[in-house]
Amino acid sequence: MKSREQEYKEIFIAEALEYFDALNRHISTLEKQPDDEQTLAEIFRLLHNMKANSKAIGYLQISDVSHKLETAFSLIRNKELAFSDEVVTVLFDGIDLLGELITNIDSNQEAEPDPVLLRNLDIIVENLSDSAIELAKVQKYNTSKNLSLSDLVYIQIKKLDHLMNLVGELMIDRDRILSISKDMGNEELKTVSSHLYRITEDLQYSVMDARLVNIGSLFNKFPRIVRDIAAAEKKEVDLELIGQDIQIDRNILQIMTDSLLHLVRNAVTHGLETPAEREKKEKPRMGHLTLSAKSDRENVLIELADDGKGMDFKLIKRTAVERHLITADAAEGLTEAEVLSFLFEPGFSTAKEVTEFSGRGVGLDVVKNAIDSIGGRLMVKSEKGKGTTFSMQLPTSIAVKGALLFEVDEIFYAIPLIHTEQVIALDKDELHEVGDVMIADLKGEAITVVYLHELLNTDEHQMRLGDKSRLKGQVQNIVVVSYNNRKIGLIVDKLYRQQDIVVKPMSKPLDRIDLYGGVTLLGTGKVCLVLDVPATTRYFMNRRQAQEHV
Amino acid sequence: MAKQTQTADKTAEKPAENDKAAAMDAPAAEGKKAAEPQPVKEEMVHLIVFKLGAEYYAIKIEQVKEVNITPATTRMPRTPHFVKGVANIRGDIIAIIDLEDRFNIRPAPLLDGLNPDLTYTLVIEAKGYSIGVTVKEMPQSLNLPISKIDKAPSFLQDVNISENFIEGLARTGDRLIIVLDMHKILTQDEVRELPG
Repeated sequence: MKSREQEYKEIFIAEALEYFDALNRHISTLEKQPDDEQTLAEIFRLLHNMKANSKAIGYLQISDVSHKLETAFSLIRNKELAFSDEVVTVLFDGIDLLGELITNIDSNQEAEPDPVLLRNLDIIVENLSDSAIELAKVQKYNTSKNLSLSDLVYIQIKKLDHLMNLVGELMIDRDRILSISKDMGNEELKTVSSHLYRITEDLQYSVMDARLVNIGSLFNKFPRIVRDIAAAEKKEVDLELIGQDIQIDRNILQIMTDSLLHLVRNAVTHGLETPAEREKKEKPRMGHLTLSAKSDRENVLIELADDGKGMDFKLIKRTAVERHLITADAAEGLTEAEVLSFLFEPGFSTAKEVTEFSGRGVGLDVVKNAIDSIGGRLMVKSEKGKGTTFSMQLPTSIAVKGALLFEVDEIFYAIPLIHTEQVIALDKDELHEVGDVMIADLKGEAITVVYLHELLNTDEHQMRLGDKSRLKGQVQNIVVVSYNNRKIGLIVDKLYRQQDIVVKPMSKPLDRIDLYGGVTLLGTGKVCLVLDVPATTRYFMNRRQAQEHV
Repeated sequence: MAKQTQTADKTAEKPAENDKAAAMDAPAAEGKKAAEPQPVKEEMVHLIVFKLGAEYYAIKIEQVKEVNITPATTRMPRTPHFVKGVANIRGDIIAIIDLEDRFNIRPAPLLDGLNPDLTYTLVIEAKGYSIGVTVKEMPQSLNLPISKIDKAPSFLQDVNISENFIEGLARTGDRLIIVLDMHKILTQDEVRELPG
């Protein structure tokens, strides 16, 4: 695989060549219609971008020539320089030089820009209307220009989506063929199918790779946004960006855009204190905001951390009680993580005033829903007086994900690994009936356990989620999942392996049933239901409350 | 007029003549229809006829994509009772629904010699997706002049299937066939989300 630097270089060259083509087109237009403001503005824009891009990547000669040309055109725009024949020639030469320099990056030839031409450019820029100075004749070295097409193609994301779906279908069929070939025991078929396996795997990664973009393409928009919000809120904020070159699926980044904007706004308006308040607390005047990304094998972790005042746990509890989300008694015994989970209730807001940038009734639930929709996880940590950190764990790709397969009542299910914490086997005696639910003690942490068969298959009126006698067998396999800062153990009948699955969305009319995130086909051709952990958790809470009211 | 009746009778007999494989393969049956010259110019409709409860129902063939022996169906917990589950038909995973359950039609006792485990699935093509409808007996194909379908039967208010779903009543010989508009059933079927 190419290094990232090489990739950047290629993108720069392709883009620059495109600019070069456009410049040639526009300057030819301009030669015929010297008063065309629009074309002039476009040339100006192209040169400006070329200057900035080449400077950023370190091609100073290109940047220098672009700068000179830009200056010349700005003079033309301001009518300080006439678009005369002599000037036109120099400008054409200058643009040709740009093209030359760009092509030379590619061929690794060290090319010095023609000093005569550079001087000519300086002359027209600096000597304004003084035409007394002779423009030296530039020796034309590129009379036989090569026509070349760009090495880069732009592609609609829709086409990549379609390609990804096709790869998904192919993988399902591949698994099926693999499983059939194992059953048939034909050596030749086995060889072919294992080759097919390798090719589809390569294909899958190539298509996934083609969809990746740098997280920096989103992160780099934030310094300006933060500056604007901070100015409006009269706060001083220092934004630190980390990991801009981490790559992520373009559609996932697109879905995250609004959420990240929302969290950043919140952090500046509600999280960070004013300079005066910070000084009183002996913190630096300037608030610190860190937006970071890092990736492990399968996921990308985006974190937004502020060193502001932290969440007010008491206020959250009080608001939760006022909104009847919990009784005052029960609120007392909550852990901090459980208190913070209220933040993601629909419309939950403790903000008293609406400002220009946040508190418009759009709560964190919107952020949570966006992350749920792509199968990610949202976590929040906060310490009073020290600050708040939002962590978003996102899959690198939408279509293919690691999942844990299991069986409940002879139906196959899968849960995406991003939601699973651990898998344990516990003896029935280690489960305790507490109130309406079962509790298990996991290394000192008490977690709620639910028998999936009871939750999914028992008539809702007869459901008894806290009844151990409904369990089958002595040893219980438990998949511990985590959602919205809380863990729940799901008891399954049989536990199978981990596997990469291609999730197909539920077809109509079943797409409205949110308990399932989709379906997948196993190698055997059997349909496997993909459980949606957020919806399953919600359904459990809902049933548990219904039990209490009976 | 007499001629017309004759044609109708002739087509009505067709399902009985058709061997089972031909009835299974709807497009083949259609081909047969095209090959057979119709003496009367009147527009014909091609129906797929099946039984729900003790009555005959039909869907226009344009709405039916294919007829299969019902494939292995994976039950989906916490879905409406008429959803039998999802099945894999040629790589497409589609919902399988039971119209007897959907319309609360009392199932008729199975005829002698029919295997209760063998049912048939009509794959209905809707806008952008497919859905399977299970029936117990082999569906049959039937050609009918369009005039044989009574578009507005007066007794509809007594029927427990909302009249919107009924396109009309067809009479052939001694049989009464209720013609359903599947697209209307599908668009009106609101499979709601779970509470909470």
